[in-house]
Amino acid sequence: MNSPDISGAQRLTPAELQAVNFRRAPLGRRGFDEDQVRAFLGQVEQELVRVLNEKAAMQHEVGRLRDRITGNPQGFSPVQAEDAHIQAVRILSKAQETADHYVADAQRYSREIAEEARRGRDEILAEAKARAVLVLDEAHRQASTAAEQVKPSSEPLSEDERRNLESEIAYLRTFSDVYRTHLRSYLEALLRNVEEWDHSEHDSTPGARTPLPRPR
Amino acid sequence: MDAQALKDNFAQVAQHGDAVALFFYSDLFLRNPGLREMFPIGMSHQRDRLLSALGRVVAQVDNLPEVVPFVRQLGADHRKFGVEALHYPEVGQSLIATLRYFSGAAWSDALARDWGDAYTLLANVMVEAADEDAKQRPAWWNAQIVAHERRRFDLAVLRVVTDRPLPYLPGQSVAVEVPVRPRMWRYYSMANAPRHDNTLDFHVRLVDGGPVSPVLVRSAGAGDWLKLGSPVGTMTFNERSGRDVLLIGGSTGLAPLKAILERIARSPAPPRVHLFFGARTADGLYDLADLTKRAADSPWLTVVPAVSEGGADGAEQAEQGVLADVVARYGLWRDHDAYVCGSPAMVDATVERLVGLGLGMDRIRSDKFADA
Ligand SMILES: Cc1cc2nc3c(=O)[nH]c(=O)nc-3n(C[C@H](O)[C@H](O)[C@H](O)COP(=O)(O)OP(=O)(O)OC[C@H]3O[C@@H](n4cnc5c(N)ncnc54)[C@H](O)[C@@H]3O)c2cc1C
Ligand code: HEM
Repeated sequence: MNSPDISGAQRLTPAELQAVNFRRAPLGRRGFDEDQVRAFLGQVEQELVRVLNEKAAMQHEVGRLRDRITGNPQGFSPVQAEDAHIQAVRILSKAQETADHYVADAQRYSREIAEEARRGRDEILAEAKARAVLVLDEAHRQASTAAEQVKPSSEPLSEDERRNLESEIAYLRTFSDVYRTHLRSYLEALLRNVEEWDHSEHDSTPGARTPLPRPR
Repeated sequence: MDAQALKDNFAQVAQHGDAVALFFYSDLFLRNPGLREMFPIGMSHQRDRLLSALGRVVAQVDNLPEVVPFVRQLGADHRKFGVEALHYPEVGQSLIATLRYFSGAAWSDALARDWGDAYTLLANVMVEAADEDAKQRPAWWNAQIVAHERRRFDLAVLRVVTDRPLPYLPGQSVAVEVPVRPRMWRYYSMANAPRHDNTLDFHVRLVDGGPVSPVLVRSAGAGDWLKLGSPVGTMTFNERSGRDVLLIGGSTGLAPLKAILERIARSPAPPRVHLFFGARTADGLYDLADLTKRAADSPWLTVVPAVSEGGADGAEQAEQGVLADVVARYGLWRDHDAYVCGSPAMVDATVERLVGLGLGMDRIRSDKFADA
C-alpha cells in the first residue's frame, strides 16, 4: 500500500488521500507513528494553502476579466459591483481613520494630564526642598549669632549675661525642635497626598484580574 | 520574477502614503470581517509596521537569503496573534487588490503574476517557520505576577512565574499582553538570567500617555495574569569572546544588562565588568542599591551611576552628565565588548561615542526601547 510520504513538489490528490496508510507506532506506543502523521498533516496544510492561494488569484482574474467586458445582456454591470466595493472600502477607511484620531486624541490628552501632574509633583517637591533650605539657613544664622555671643572674651561673663545667653540657647533649641517637627509633618502630609493620588488613580483603573486564559 | 519591476511598483504605490495601508485593511476586513478582531482598535501603529515590513522584504526579493531569517522570525512571531496558514491567502488577495487600485494604468498582468508569486513565496516561508516553531514551543506562555514592587511613582519591578519553562538568552525580550489592553503587545526585557523555578523579572517604566506601561506600573499586582510571546533580540552575551565587558544602561535599559551580569557572575572565571547606569535624576537610579551590593560581593565588577540633570543632591556618589560623556571620561574601551541599552537617543549617542573611541561596531551590541 501507499506510504504517506509524497514528495513536496508532487500535488496531493483525493485518491492519494484515500490510499494513505500510516506506519504503526514503534513497539510500546499506541496508534500511528506520530512524526509521520505530523509530517503528513503539514503537507495537507501546505496543499490547502496552495489551493486557496490559487483560488484567490483566480477570483482576482475573474474580476479583471469581468472588468474588461463592458455592458452585459442582463443589464448587470460588474464594473458597478467593483465600484460598490471600492465605495465600501472608502467608507470603512474613513471610519477607521476617525477611530484612529479618537484613539490618538485620547492618548495625547492622557499624556498631557500626566505631564501636568508630573510638573505639579516636581513643583511641590522643589517647594518643599526650598523650604527645608530656608529653615536650615535660618538655623545656621541663629547658631552663628549665638556662637558670636559666646565667643571667649577677655572679660568674664556677668551672671546676667550668662543667664541671658542660656535662655537664648534654650530658645534656639526649642526653635530648632519646632521647625524640625513642622518640616516633618509637612513632608508627611505631602507623602500622604501623593499616596492618595496613587490610590485614587489605582481604583479608577479596572484591575487586570481575569481567569487563566487557556494555552494553545 | 522581475524584482526591479516590483520595487518600482511598490515605490510608486507607497507615494500615496497612509492611504495605501488604510485601503488594504478596509479591503481585508470587508472581505473577511472575522479578521477584524485580531487587530487592535487603533491601527495607525500596525499600519506603519506592515507597510515598512513589506517594503523591506520587497526591496530584497532578489536577495532572498538576506531576508529569510527576518521573515521566518516574523512568521513564528505571528503565532501569538492567532494567525494561521489559512489567513495568508486572504491577506494576499487584499494586498494585490490594493496594489492594483493604487497602480492605476501602470498595473499589468505581469505585475499581478509577479506580486502573486512573491507573496506566495513569502507566505510559505512564514507558514513553514510557524509550523516548525509550533513543534518546539507554545504560541504564547501564560504568566502570573507573583511580586510587584513600585520603586518610584513611575517605575515598577515585576516578578512573574510562567506556566511552563520559557527558554531564553540573557539580554533578550518578550512581547507582553495584559488582559485589560487586548491585542496591544509591548516588548519587555528579562532582567535576570534564566532560573529553574520559571520566574522572570521585568523592569517597567511608565511612559506618559502610553496604553500599556501605566497599567503594568500602576494597576497590575500579584495574582494578575499576562501573556508572553517568544523571546526575541540579538543583544545577547557573547560567551566566547573572553574580552572584558562594558555594560551601559539608561533607566530601565538596565534590565537586559542585569540578565547578562547574572550570566557572567555564574561563569567560573568572570571577565572584568564595568556597568554604567544612568538616569536623569538620582531617584531614577531605582536599582542602585542592588547593583552596589553586587559590586561589593564581586571583585570583578565596577558599578558607575550617572545622573544627567537635577544637581548633585541625593546622588553624591553619582557622576554628572549623559552616559556617553561619563563613559568616555572613564577611559578607552578598545579591548572590551560593549552592550548598550536604553532610549534611542541614548543608545545612538553612546554607540557613536564608543566608535569614536576606537571600539569596532562588531564589538558593540545594542537594543533600543522604542517602538519596533
Ligand atoms: C526590544 C524592546 C525591549 C523593551 N524592554 C523594555 C523594558 O525592559 N522596560 C521598559 O520599561 N520598556 C521596555 N521597552 C519599551 C516598551 O516596549 C514600551 O514601548 C513602553 O513600555 C511603553 O508602552 P506603552 O504601551 O505604555 O506606550 P507606547 O504605545 O509603546 O508608546 C507611547 C508613546 O511613547 C513613546 N515611547 C515608547 N517608549 C518610550 C520610552 N521608553 N521613552 C520615551 N518614550 C517612549 C512612543 O514612541 C509613543 O509615542 C522595550 C521595547 C523594545 C522594542
Ligand atoms: C507576508 C505576510 C505578512 C507580513 C510581511 C506581515 C508583517 C507584519 C509585521 C511586521 C507586524 C508587526 C510585528 C510586531 O510588531 O511584532 C505584523 C503584525 C500583525 N500581523 Fe502581520 N504580516 C503578514 C501576514 C499576516 C497575516 C496573514 C495575518 C492574519 C490575518 C497577520 C496579522 C497580523 C496581526 C494581527 C498583527 C498584530 C497587529 C498589531 O499588534 O498591531 N499578518 N505583521
